[in-house]
Amino acid sequence: MEIKKRERPAFNRDIAAAMKKHYSDTRSRKPLAHTLMSSNPLIEVAYAAGIQPAFPENYACVCAARHASPTYCSNAESHHYTQDLCSYCRNNLGYTHSHDGEPVNGGIGDPDLFLMTSSACSHYFKWWDTLHEIHQKPLVFVNTPRVMEPSNRPDFYVDFAQEEIRAAIGEIETILNISISPDRLVRAVYQSDKTVKYWQKLLELQKCIPAPLGLSDLSNALFVLIVLAGTREGADLMEKIYRETSRRAAEGMGILDRNEEKHRLLWLNIPFWYNLKILGYFENRGCVFPMSDYCQYIWGVTRMDSENPLEGLARKSLEGELNTSLDDHIHLLIRDIQAYHIDGVVAHSNRSCRVLSVGLLDAANIIREELNIPVLVLDGDHADERVYAEAETMTRIDTFLEMLGG
Amino acid sequence: MHRNLKKMAEAVQKAPAVLQDIKNQNKKKMIGYFFPVFPAEIIYAAGLHPVQLYPGLQEPITLADDHLQLYLCAYLRAQWDQILKGKHDYLDGTIIPRSCEAVTFLYQTWKRHNPFDFVDYVNIPWKKSANTIRFFTKELQRVKNNLEAFVHGKITTNALSDAIMLFNQNRSLLRKACELRNTRNPPFSALDTFNMVMSGFVLDKKEHTQMMTELLRHVEETAAPTTLEPLTVRLLLSGGCVLDTRLLDIISSAGAMVVADDFNNGARSFQPIVPENEAPVESLARAYAIVPCGFNTAIGDRFSFMANAISQHSVDGVLFAINRNCETEKFDYPVLARKIMERFKIPTMLIETDYLCAMGSMQTRVEAFVEMMRGKDI
Repeated sequence: MEIKKRERPAFNRDIAAAMKKHYSDTRSRKPLAHTLMSSNPLIEVAYAAGIQPAFPENYACVCAARHASPTYCSNAESHHYTQDLCSYCRNNLGYTHSHDGEPVNGGIGDPDLFLMTSSACSHYFKWWDTLHEIHQKPLVFVNTPRVMEPSNRPDFYVDFAQEEIRAAIGEIETILNISISPDRLVRAVYQSDKTVKYWQKLLELQKCIPAPLGLSDLSNALFVLIVLAGTREGADLMEKIYRETSRRAAEGMGILDRNEEKHRLLWLNIPFWYNLKILGYFENRGCVFPMSDYCQYIWGVTRMDSENPLEGLARKSLEGELNTSLDDHIHLLIRDIQAYHIDGVVAHSNRSCRVLSVGLLDAANIIREELNIPVLVLDGDHADERVYAEAETMTRIDTFLEMLGG
Repeated sequence: MHRNLKKMAEAVQKAPAVLQDIKNQNKKKMIGYFFPVFPAEIIYAAGLHPVQLYPGLQEPITLADDHLQLYLCAYLRAQWDQILKGKHDYLDGTIIPRSCEAVTFLYQTWKRHNPFDFVDYVNIPWKKSANTIRFFTKELQRVKNNLEAFVHGKITTNALSDAIMLFNQNRSLLRKACELRNTRNPPFSALDTFNMVMSGFVLDKKEHTQMMTELLRHVEETAAPTTLEPLTVRLLLSGGCVLDTRLLDIISSAGAMVVADDFNNGARSFQPIVPENEAPVESLARAYAIVPCGFNTAIGDRFSFMANAISQHSVDGVLFAINRNCETEKFDYPVLARKIMERFKIPTMLIETDYLCAMGSMQTRVEAFVEMMRGKDI
């Protein structure tokens, strides 16, 4: 696959540097907590407490991009973690059980504790509990409920989530024999909210034609939104990303030139991290992805009042794509397909991400019927490239592009 | 075979038809629910007929393929397929617990494709703490309020207390029947036990309790023949939902006996012992929060439950029969197997089951597993 080299926005270099520093910090700074990337209120708490968070999901993406996931996944399978388990988890369990070889990106450090929330995929409870059993390190667990009808969310959910976070803070203080200053938590939530503010403004810019950023740029920026949530470094970087994107939009500068951008597509579900060049293939054919549900709805949806940090963090844990109904999700998609001038959809039926894949076929059918735009469903996996069928995928993409007239 | 066992077997094999008959007779509305983590006492106290839902094992999956991918649990896909085909038209509503993503999807899609009068979702606590129990109490109270609106009437404290007593009695009888697996003369086969438990998800609770009472009285009055051979291997069978009775036949014909179990349609379902003289909703929350299903229970607590059964029933080996694509149970298996080996020095084996799967290789593996244990001093 020949991919035309395009100049990406300069902020990608800043993100790469931030990522390098983050991974270095996970090996050098203590105490280290392994934690989750979902709507996780304990990220801000960790930074406020002076705990360095590490994110095995993000590390799985890095490993997949470096084509190391199959090795780690196979290693997990040899320890009886079967192939029908999420490949992020298998990547992590394989890495955990690896004792030789140079780890990808230098690896991440061994945890001193685990910070977990249930505002994530259901099986993450099992994954984190497994890690807790393997490492025999304390597990702090915020057991928030799943919200199925956001418009009808019972009031006691927010109170309960606040109590859970308050209890978690107490547990962390006891485990590490520290005191988490309320002022530092206020500052962390302030920085996190500032990051979200610029992220939301950034997504708005993607409505411009041509789209100033592509899906790989947005996916990179997610690192800042999630991993650096609660840090000044993260908030400043997201502001920088926004300002550069804003300039690009004002100057009519897109990933593709205006006359080159023929089709604006929506990507559903997580990208193939081991094959991001596929996005370049679409770009070669005049297609950009100004939005995806993965970037748009899961994270960065909650604005928080830093004067009420626990309440803000509680709402964060109860919002996002994992806390929605199928009807609300489809309604959002239809709204944004129109707002972002989308004329085709590529839906990744991702065997490792069930939470984003259940309902995908219904969503695809409804989009076809109600908006009369083509939807391509691709089977795959977000990290385990052994189950990805390149030839079949490319044939289907080519047929789809012909239909689009690309 | 005792007539009640025959009736129970029929209730399991022909569940949809039996349920329709019950509905025609007692005119009660029927509410389905998944897994033994939701207190069906609340449904019962509302004057409704609770049905713990499982798919029939005859029907190829066709219609569900438009909604649920092949990499999702086939039992859930089969369940949804059969709902789409109208096999569960006796239902008036359903209550879905927070468990795996496929079950959660059922809540979301049920309203869209098959809008019953009543569809509700309940968050089950995964962590056991005073805060989560308080939350679960409020969550059950919320569902209770919704059911009251559905039936246009109050669920009185007395009705709820009566339901708790009845369900406690029923669970106590099932526990007693399953304890008999631990005797030299077990009066019930694994299939009998399966039918006893599963028929309780179908039949009216009073009727089922009466049948169980009669059955156990009959056992007490009758000297059952010795069926346990001296070298019978004693197994604990673990899994999410063990629905395919062909597996029980394979185990039996291999010379082993299931003397204890750890699955949703087995011992997990009669674990809750609900205090009878306390605030009923709170009592239900405290008792049901600790039902040891895979998706809501930490590995340490699951191991405690299994370790207790292994010790009590002198188990020789543990067979994990886990459905393909059941992430919950698959995640726990490696650590559970290690802990069992470390504590009890007994073997474990994982077999992967699936909806309407071929049983040949499974039979070979189970036979080899049992044979291996026979080779040891048991």
